[in-house]
Amino acid sequence: MSNFTTATSTVDLTKIKPYGDTYNDGKVQMSFTLPVPDGEEAQEAARQYAKLMGMDEPSVTHHSDLGIGYTFFVVYGPVHHTVDYTKIRVTKVESHVFDRVECGEWIAKNIGRTITMVGASTGSDAHTVGIDAIMNMKGFHGHFGLERFKNVNAINMGSQVPNEELIAKAIEVNADAILVSQTVTQKDVHIKNLTNMVELCEAEGIRDHMLLLCGGPRISHELAQELGFDAGFGPETYAEHVCSYVMQEIVARGWVNKK
Amino acid sequence: MGFIADIQKKYKTVSIVGMAKNAGKTTALNYLLEEAYDEGLRMGVTSTGRDGETSDLVFETDKPKVYLFEDTIVTVPEQLFGLAETSLEILKRTSCRTALGQVLLCRVARSGYVQIAGPGSIMEHKKLCAQMFEQGIDMIIIDGAIDRKSIADPATSDAIILSTGAVISRRIKNVVEETVHVVSVYKSPLVEDEKLRAILEKEDRDVFRILTIDKDYNVAQVPVRTALGAGPIVNDAIGEDTRFVYIPGAITERILDHISPAKLKQVTIVLPNPTKVFVGATRWQQLRKMGLHVQVLENIEVAAVTVNPFSPHGYSFDRDELLNAVKEALPGLPVVDVRVGGLDL
Ligand code: B12
Repeated sequence: MSNFTTATSTVDLTKIKPYGDTYNDGKVQMSFTLPVPDGEEAQEAARQYAKLMGMDEPSVTHHSDLGIGYTFFVVYGPVHHTVDYTKIRVTKVESHVFDRVECGEWIAKNIGRTITMVGASTGSDAHTVGIDAIMNMKGFHGHFGLERFKNVNAINMGSQVPNEELIAKAIEVNADAILVSQTVTQKDVHIKNLTNMVELCEAEGIRDHMLLLCGGPRISHELAQELGFDAGFGPETYAEHVCSYVMQEIVARGWVNKK
Repeated sequence: MGFIADIQKKYKTVSIVGMAKNAGKTTALNYLLEEAYDEGLRMGVTSTGRDGETSDLVFETDKPKVYLFEDTIVTVPEQLFGLAETSLEILKRTSCRTALGQVLLCRVARSGYVQIAGPGSIMEHKKLCAQMFEQGIDMIIIDGAIDRKSIADPATSDAIILSTGAVISRRIKNVVEETVHVVSVYKSPLVEDEKLRAILEKEDRDVFRILTIDKDYNVAQVPVRTALGAGPIVNDAIGEDTRFVYIPGAITERILDHISPAKLKQVTIVLPNPTKVFVGATRWQQLRKMGLHVQVLENIEVAAVTVNPFSPHGYSFDRDELLNAVKEALPGLPVVDVRVGGLDL
């Protein structure tokens, strides 16, 4: 299928462009900050910058002084590039997603024991909201966290947990899965921290009986593969996605009766 | 005779291990595959992460693609199968599961660019390599992901090729220091005490695998499942007569920091192999000066070192300067700039 019909016209999916006011006008809005004080020159700089990025006749629709010599801009204008939607392949975690209650029942029926997951926001990362959303009772967006799941033992160690401590805990409780949350990606700190995690797990020889998952706003399943994790979860993940994946993987890998 | 032919005579499974992301592993891989093709060697290729995608998922920089010659055996997970730019014949669905689906064992039906990925876990790689050899290949190259070094484990790899380069530091001196550190850790002294070796090789304890061995070869288990986070317990377990501490898992700066200076001098720390060392170059030097002794049951063979004078962070070194500095610091090891080729052994 390379075409589908919108409210007004037929879209060529091999060449899609943004829609602003009319079909295929390519209108894009973007925002950025320049390290110069607000003024005519600053606005011209913003326009030129947008032009260099491929925007035709950009108009600065908003500018505000951020103080100490910085200005925030919103620029609007058309771009010509197109994307072939039919060639897009996105890799996703491939497992059926059960809801919370179904997960509990599935575990009882297919695994027959409580499964244990240990999680933390690791390294220097102090962001707890993501891992709490997955693990804590309360959950997120009306989706309860793993602590509320039947037959799941969820241990959330909090934030700024060194990789070593997280692994030590996982070994102590003989976990089925380790859940690592990483939010800060500046200067790629998360990459070093995540590969260090994988390497320590290898050195400890636990990868043949523990799943290694990572998650966070900039984490994708593809990145997880590149780093050597078993799975990666980005935005809009809920506890049921994680539990569904872990329990099905335990069965698929034959870890039901692990010692 | 080519470099690869020389390596292939000695080693059947060789991993390319990067000192850092963008140290030039993929360039090294392409270079070796080309040489292998010229020599008429039938190759197997796999990766501990993912390789061959045009732009880097981690740093979003341009990245060389992997070109595979006809008849190469390669591992491709289901979700990347459709992304190959040439035809692949599926030989087998392995039981190995990755983030991108089940791993397929494929034969390259027509030379071309392929996205390669394999299991993240080293134990899975060992199994996978055995299946690849069943296809009658001469040699396997495993591409290590990012800066992951665990694939150097002698249980999986007969030897490694270490890729280093400008990406590590803006100063050549630091690049050389870090590289020498890794090579020297990989060449840690082997356990020579045969009695000790015999004890450790037959030790197969289930839960408490960390051991202390005293001067009369009495063995005691340290009551922890891992040394991680248990530095003080390991320290307490070292008695007056303890001569060796066997740690089958990782040793890190945090663990060693808890061992008292006197005990650190008194004992030799024994590891299965050098991939267990997680101590940076500077701290390692300090600890060595304080009397740290490490011995290993098995060592890692470094077959060659490749250097890349370019950093994707926008700077580069003079290629001869880097090449010569690394050569000088690692006498006896083949060092090559893979972009130029022309390895002199
Ligand atoms: C709240 C917040 C903070 C709070 C954190 C409080 C706390 N207890 O967590 C405080 C004020 C402490 C903070 C500090 C900092 N922050 Co802040 N912070 C935020 C903010 C506003 C919201 C983050 C959040 O809670 N999101 C909600 C959760 C639910 O979403 P989530 O994390 O994506 O989680 C979901 C998924 O990703 C996934 N998931 C997450 N983890 C895991 C793990 C697993 C295993 C799985 C399966 C799934 C999963 O599931 C979750 C639910 O769907 C964001 C901006 C924003 N609006 O996003 C900035 C932001 C994350 N912070 C940022 C920065 C830079 C910082 C600081 C460095 C600021 C500074 N210069 O000091 C410090 C860093 C401190 C540190 N050492 O880590 C940047 C990060 C930029 C980057 N990419 O690197 C952001 C994006 C702001 C920005 N635009 O600059 N921050």
